[in-house]
Amino acid sequence: MSVRLLVLIPAAAAISLALSAAVDAVALPLFLDTTGTVLATALAGPGAGIATGVVTSAVNTLRNPTFWPFVVVQIIVALYAWLAARAGLFRSLKTAVPAGLGLGVLAAATSTPISYVVFGCTTTGGIALTTALGRALGLPPLGACFFGSFVADFGDKAVTFALVTSVLHALPRRTAARFPWALRAVGIAGSAGPA
Amino acid sequence: MSRRHPFTLLALVAALTALAWILPAPAGGLGTAAAALALAAAAGPRRVLVPALVTAAPFWLFLLLLHDVPSTIAIGLRLTTMIASVVWVGALLPPGRLVEAMVAAGWGVTAAYLFAAALSAVPLLKARAQRIVDAQRCRGLSPRGGLGRRLRALRALALPLVLSVLHEVDERALALETRGFVPGARRTPLAPPRDGTGERAARWLLLVACGAALAWRIAWRG
Repeated sequence: MSVRLLVLIPAAAAISLALSAAVDAVALPLFLDTTGTVLATALAGPGAGIATGVVTSAVNTLRNPTFWPFVVVQIIVALYAWLAARAGLFRSLKTAVPAGLGLGVLAAATSTPISYVVFGCTTTGGIALTTALGRALGLPPLGACFFGSFVADFGDKAVTFALVTSVLHALPRRTAARFPWALRAVGIAGSAGPA
Repeated sequence: MSRRHPFTLLALVAALTALAWILPAPAGGLGTAAAALALAAAAGPRRVLVPALVTAAPFWLFLLLLHDVPSTIAIGLRLTTMIASVVWVGALLPPGRLVEAMVAAGWGVTAAYLFAAALSAVPLLKARAQRIVDAQRCRGLSPRGGLGRRLRALRALALPLVLSVLHEVDERALALETRGFVPGARRTPLAPPRDGTGERAARWLLLVACGAALAWRIAWRG
């Protein structure tokens, strides 16, 4: 791994954690805690993405210990983002947002068993309340837990993909070309391999 | 306790958390939660115990909302163990000391750099994000209104932050290369934490205790 990619990983992890300030400012119910993972994957491939996800979870755990079991979700997000980058789905918002919605379903399906077994579906206030709503609607415990995770992840991952697409398109071509996967992710490079 | 080797502190946290889940509820969870809270109280009631209790309190509330009382107690004690022990180790263990221990134990400089760089970058980026929020507000950006308007505001706030970080990547890479930073290289730690035979034995003992508890739970209790 080159030194540039090595520098990218902690920088991307820090982006995931620092974006909370922007989210707080607009008062939207979003986490954006996988933004760095998706960005690192789209720029540098799955290895950098998985490493970013693990580092993000490790650093986040020092702030809130309940984050560590969800490191699996970060790894799934990195692998999904890699497939999306390979397919050039970051080329426009029209392709990125549906891909993000798909990731929302996958992330909810991955986090539900962890949330159910480890935390009894009480990971955050918002998820606990939507889980309670699911229970009130007559869903079984695991179904209500998935409902809570789904409501939290569905929009969040779509916004994450849209944001990463905006970043990739706003990057100057020369800067993007320094990262092995960036041009392919936005559909500029050919399908033979990373640029 | 703060003078103990970082790996010993982490092993204690991992063992307490694992035992909270392995041992039968509620007695097992009660024991591990009491141990974790006692460690937190010994490290400083205001500095460690209160933050741990404040972090754990919402979980108890939400558990009561979603579960019956026995389940709430069982899951709540496990979560309290995990939260109190991690808050305890976070307060006692400076990241720099952990990095020194990792380097002394033979970990590559890469792993140590990833962890330390991310930890040190987060507060800097949060401060930068806040400056961007303030600057965009000065330029008339309104973060209120409908969903579409808020999402556009979010883009205007997040994009400068992310792009500025990506532009700095080359600069940082160059700075590291000029200092002879090579991924995978072994470094000599400046002040490695002392790792005595007693502490190494204690870590093995914790591992054996967890394994024995798991075997007992599987074999005799189902």
